Amino acid sequence: MSAFWLYVFTLIFFLFDYFILAMGLNIQYGETGILNFAYIGFVAIGAYMTGAVSMPNSVGTGQHYILGLNMPFPFNLLVGGLSAMVVSVLVAFIALRRLRTDYLAMVLISLSLVFYDICNNYVPLFNGADGLYNVPSPLAGVLHLTTNSFTVVFALLTGVISLIMWWIMSRITRSPLGRTLRAIRDDDGVAAALGKSVFRYKLTSMMIGSFFAGIGGGLIIQFNTSFNPSAWLPGETFVVFAVIIVGGVSNNIGLLVGSLLVETMLVHLVAFLPAIPGHPGLILNIAAMMIGALLMVMLWFRPQGIVPEKLRRSPAAVAAATTSTDYAGIDEGVSHE
Amino acid sequence: MSDQSVSRADSALGCQDLTKSFLGVRAVNGATFEVPRGQITALIGPNGAGKTTVVNILSGLMKSDGGTMHLESTETTNWESEKIARLGLMRTFQLSRELGGLTVLENLLVAPHDQPGEKLFNIFFRPGRVTKAEKAHVERALEVLRTYGLYELRDSRASDLSGGQKKLLEISRAVMAGPKVLLLDEPMAGVNPALIERIGGYILDLKAQGVTVLMVEHNLNVVEKICDHVIVLAEGRTLATGRLSDLRENKEVVSAYLGEVIDAGAIS
Repeated sequence: MSAFWLYVFTLIFFLFDYFILAMGLNIQYGETGILNFAYIGFVAIGAYMTGAVSMPNSVGTGQHYILGLNMPFPFNLLVGGLSAMVVSVLVAFIALRRLRTDYLAMVLISLSLVFYDICNNYVPLFNGADGLYNVPSPLAGVLHLTTNSFTVVFALLTGVISLIMWWIMSRITRSPLGRTLRAIRDDDGVAAALGKSVFRYKLTSMMIGSFFAGIGGGLIIQFNTSFNPSAWLPGETFVVFAVIIVGGVSNNIGLLVGSLLVETMLVHLVAFLPAIPGHPGLILNIAAMMIGALLMVMLWFRPQGIVPEKLRRSPAAVAAATTSTDYAGIDEGVSHE
Repeated sequence: MSDQSVSRADSALGCQDLTKSFLGVRAVNGATFEVPRGQITALIGPNGAGKTTVVNILSGLMKSDGGTMHLESTETTNWESEKIARLGLMRTFQLSRELGGLTVLENLLVAPHDQPGEKLFNIFFRPGRVTKAEKAHVERALEVLRTYGLYELRDSRASDLSGGQKKLLEISRAVMAGPKVLLLDEPMAGVNPALIERIGGYILDLKAQGVTVLMVEHNLNVVEKICDHVIVLAEGRTLATGRLSDLRENKEVVSAYLGEVIDAGAIS
């Protein structure tokens, strides 16, 4: 297989993986209004935990890490998702009970920096600054895959997983739960005055979003077979924010579009371009600036994103509630003052 | 001062010696009153008398510095607003606070307590229960919207409504939650005369359905027409309670509030 197709399937992997990550951040920020600036930390937890449970016991591997259970796919991935979810509960109890919006964002970014430093410096946990490597490729043995064919199979598998996650997320956002989350986003004081336990719903939203973050992270470590602190610098969170703001907050199609534009085109496609002679890394820096510029342009001219949030109009719900009578024909003489 | 005119047994909502200071300024300074069950009570008083602060404390939006309060027979002093709401107290806000990103219908559908579809487990494992409850809520919400004349606007974005429509939306959202006690913070402020008439009618209908209403109101014509009972607040404490006609005889009340209004020509 030519290098070109390897690039293409690598890009496809990141498109779908960031779609999953964007959906996770979107339920927290777009649906519930939680400004989670620590999001990439949950991605990292998912990645590390997936890696640590899929690898053999660390003795004799030249690496230091916890667990080492030889756990097969997809259970390792689920452990990654669930670990991120468990940590999000702890974080929620520290940060979400009293704080809101900007203060919450500051506490979350601090927590992610603390966690970053721990992972980077405390070697026995996840091998410190070197990170985990030689993570087994899932299904490679069973399906007799080469390095190249693994890239293709895993990119497609990630596509299937992202579709399942999309289905799960749509069920949630279309349900009364999703509606209550959006009520909290719009005005949590009103939601509380209506008897909604704001903290409990924010906790639920954090848990769901972090599960998605963990799954996305778990897929990354298995695709790359390695993961280390340079992969999740705290600034990475803002790439995911850029994905959802550019694509369209609270719109799953928008998230896919944002993932394509920001993540696939500006982050990963440019990484494959040949370097400008004499200026190594310049292209990546230009791409980073372009993401920033794109974010500003979007916030200025089209804050709702390329594919804006759809108003959840009622035809389906109304049709379910009204029987054969033509409800639209009833004129109630509404005053439009 | 305790409220002599309403006994605790007949009271749906009440407070004793409530106090609340903001940066040293005493906004509420020993407010004490009982709101008679099943009636419409007006909370009146000059600007800065602490009416909205009292409403905020009673609904749990703010914590008091001192004093006690009750909702029916339950002591609710300094409870979280979500707990108070679940006991059956609903409120509206002085400046309308619609859930702007939701449709009018969705604003109402948020209101019912303990919806099966608000639980993750039910969404995936008991979809039938979720759909059934949702159907019932939609039916009820549409009925409420018809009653309040918002039916045609059911699919509009709530933030696109006019000021008067937002007032109606807030009341209908509170009604959707099936309140026992309704706190209305200036439901008629900034509303045209025809709509004032309509809102007054809605409030009387709610009383007929057994809802206890406490409303902050400046329009004494409205108070005269629909309120059974009046509480006058001044400088954060209860000045007087009773019928408006009796209070007109009360010199203290006249000098603190009614006089001011009479001068302004608000009483015809």
